[in-house]
Amino acid sequence: MTRYDLGIDEDLCWGCKTCEVACKGENGAPYGIKLIAVGEDRPALPDGSTSFVFRLSRCRHCDVPDCLEACNFDAIEQRRDGIVVLDQAMCGGCEACVTACPYRAITFDRKKRVAMKCNLCHHRIDQGLLPACADNVCPAHCIRLVGASASS
Amino acid sequence: MTDFTYANTPLEMEVYGYDRVVKSHCRGCHGGCGVLVYVKDGRVEKVAGDPDCPINHGTMCSKGLAAPQIAYHPDRLTHPVRRVGPKASGKWERITWDEALDAIAERILAYKEEHGAESVVMGYGTGRENEAAIYRFANYLGSPNVLTAGHFCYGPRIATTVITCGSNPIADYDNNPACIMVWGNNVTISNPDCYKGEPFSQALNAGAKLIVVDPRLTRPAARADIWLQLRPGTDTALALGILNVIVEEDLYDHDFVANHVHGWEEFKARVAEYPLARTAEITWVPEEKIAAAARLFATTKPGVVQWGVAIEQQVTCADNNRALLALMGITGNIDVPGGQMLFRQPPVRNVSEFGAHKALPPEQAAKRLGGDHFRLAGNFGIINPKYVWDAVLTEEPYPVKMLFFISSNPLMTRANAREVHDALEKVEFMAVADFFITPTAELADIVLPAATWLEMDYIGDFWKRHGWILPRRKVIQVGECRSDHEMLNDLAHRVGQGEHWWDDFEQGLDWILEPSGITFQDFLKTDRMRGDTTYRKYQERGFSTPTRKFELYSTKLEEWGYDPLPQFREGPMSPVSRPDLAEGFPYILITGARQPGFFHSENRQVPVLRELHPDPEVEVHPETAAREGIADGDWVVIESPRGAIRQRAKLSEGLDPRVVSAQHAWWFPEKRDPGHGWDESNVNVLIDNDYSNCDPAMGATSIRTLLCRIRPETDADRERLTGVQP
Repeated sequence: MTRYDLGIDEDLCWGCKTCEVACKGENGAPYGIKLIAVGEDRPALPDGSTSFVFRLSRCRHCDVPDCLEACNFDAIEQRRDGIVVLDQAMCGGCEACVTACPYRAITFDRKKRVAMKCNLCHHRIDQGLLPACADNVCPAHCIRLVGASASS
Repeated sequence: MTDFTYANTPLEMEVYGYDRVVKSHCRGCHGGCGVLVYVKDGRVEKVAGDPDCPINHGTMCSKGLAAPQIAYHPDRLTHPVRRVGPKASGKWERITWDEALDAIAERILAYKEEHGAESVVMGYGTGRENEAAIYRFANYLGSPNVLTAGHFCYGPRIATTVITCGSNPIADYDNNPACIMVWGNNVTISNPDCYKGEPFSQALNAGAKLIVVDPRLTRPAARADIWLQLRPGTDTALALGILNVIVEEDLYDHDFVANHVHGWEEFKARVAEYPLARTAEITWVPEEKIAAAARLFATTKPGVVQWGVAIEQQVTCADNNRALLALMGITGNIDVPGGQMLFRQPPVRNVSEFGAHKALPPEQAAKRLGGDHFRLAGNFGIINPKYVWDAVLTEEPYPVKMLFFISSNPLMTRANAREVHDALEKVEFMAVADFFITPTAELADIVLPAATWLEMDYIGDFWKRHGWILPRRKVIQVGECRSDHEMLNDLAHRVGQGEHWWDDFEQGLDWILEPSGITFQDFLKTDRMRGDTTYRKYQERGFSTPTRKFELYSTKLEEWGYDPLPQFREGPMSPVSRPDLAEGFPYILITGARQPGFFHSENRQVPVLRELHPDPEVEVHPETAAREGIADGDWVVIESPRGAIRQRAKLSEGLDPRVVSAQHAWWFPEKRDPGHGWDESNVNVLIDNDYSNCDPAMGATSIRTLLCRIRPETDADRERLTGVQP
């Protein structure tokens, strides 16, 4: 069984945020909620100076997902292909998953009182399509679907 | 159209139930990317990159992806309107296209009759590939005054490259440069005209060495082999210092210099004025780094200089460009594979011919505002904006009575915004064509609804110098919106220049393509066309300059009364030239670093793009912030001798503590009053547009180097700057 994840080479990322907008177009997260988010990091270098890289925050589809354990409403399940899916229809809005995620990759829609996260565009993968952010949108070619059986 | 090779288009169509997909050409910035437009029930549902397009290889940017949200935005102007209240009252009435164009035509003819065609000024901003059509209209009207960003954006690249080597040399990323020198530019999130981030990325991934010249630590700078963090405004000195190392250490291309350049001895003498110690003192860049960059670039072939607009928005605009051209030239990188190519267009009528520059009578050209002052600009049909504001406000040297801005928001994007506001308030008649009623359009008499790229047929990238042209295909019609080209074609008939235009604008596209022996309908059946890509054309024909050589020493600049060689000049607003002023305004303010999602003043009303940057930000070094009592995220007041604005502080170790970097072109479409907060965070409120703050040859306004102070915002500041009581 193929196990899926996003492979992201952060060293290549230019911070253009095209992936964020591609994700929005596909998944329609409301204003202020990002299922994939590009952030800045300025790590210290050995010579005392500071470097500058972009980091991508998104669900890691963990092998043993803390969020799944924490969920009080059985709204999170892990598929056999590794994709961790949060079903908003079943979410009770307790925010336990938000707290449990070690990557801070789960966000909360305060209006609808539901948690939201990247479900790895499983609705696209199941149709043989790539996740929106990994579908050759990135000008740096730094995001790809790992474990994809069909190459695109 | 050929089949799509690796986008899974058939499956996308099936899964989402799209009715059709159209190959087209994006113009979310200046244009460039091949796109697939997916349509369902007559609406554009999605825009994706076209994997077959050699320019972007299927990748996209946020602006292009958001195109449907711009086209269908609820605030979009979808029919012509006429203002019925005072200026900036926000009171408009709907009128028909005939009423709007007749009213505009009537004014044009009346002003031409009474004050001369020069009293009618046409304008565009960074351009929506409508530039040549606007020039065509103005030239046949007889007005020498087309107000563009060309004095300090791309126009200098055209003017300086034409006088130096005949055309604009473009980095040939497809043939893998071995060394890339990025100079004041962030190609990965901006659009420096003929370039895209994707091929630049690919060249780096293929192993190219990278040198970055930038006062800010951009991501390319962080990834560079050598980063030269220069003092803002000292680019010419740094370039001449690098050239001096290359000459002194005998690292230049002897064959090219011996056979193809003009003015070598004079050039050598000039660069010798920039030994390492002096260059380091001027630029703040350590001597060893300057020397290392010079050696790496000169010995790693082929090499390219990735330049852009930052070096053009300085008082040494023309000399910055000319010094970098010299660098491309003497290292032997001109017109070689993987170097700096002088690409040729396919056989079509070019923008100069379509723009009908020869139709402007010489006696009218002689009246070009500032033409005898900024003579490099004037010879390329480009004017400095202040000349227009002065002509409106003082009626000297003659009155300007009418402004017609097509895709331009000068209130947000031109220096000394308060003077721009005064001029737009005073001018007798103003028309604007745009997608939205912008702060500039709020001061207009008539506003026309312009089509986005999804709503027009066109020959994409027709104006560029990378040699490609691509079909842009009309996919949808939104309201009564019309492309700027169709609008001008219609208006041309109403002002008596119909004989130079067409019954329908598609015939104009046919006319452009005619030398290729095809019509626009034929062109639509293709994916793209490219001109001849022969290398080293100069070996047989020389360069298209007066001496047929690559002019290190410019005979044209000499003829026009300028220094024929590049020379560093300290800007009028620097801590070196004005130590007195720097006591009260101790920081160097740089402006205009690009933000993904925005195209200058555009797109702040588009939620998926605004979400990327909800507020205007000014980058401040943590040491500076600590000294001024500023914390990350605080609203702060930035002041210059000219005024004050507010932005939010973003702490960053990526700049020198003596430098702060503010964003440009911020207005707030969500503020529903007709001002839309145009002066709250608009960095152009702070910027001087005096002629002394401009490049003497090009008229480029220095907007990249000024002096400021910065402090936390108080409640009183907020009330004063926003009009909102705490």
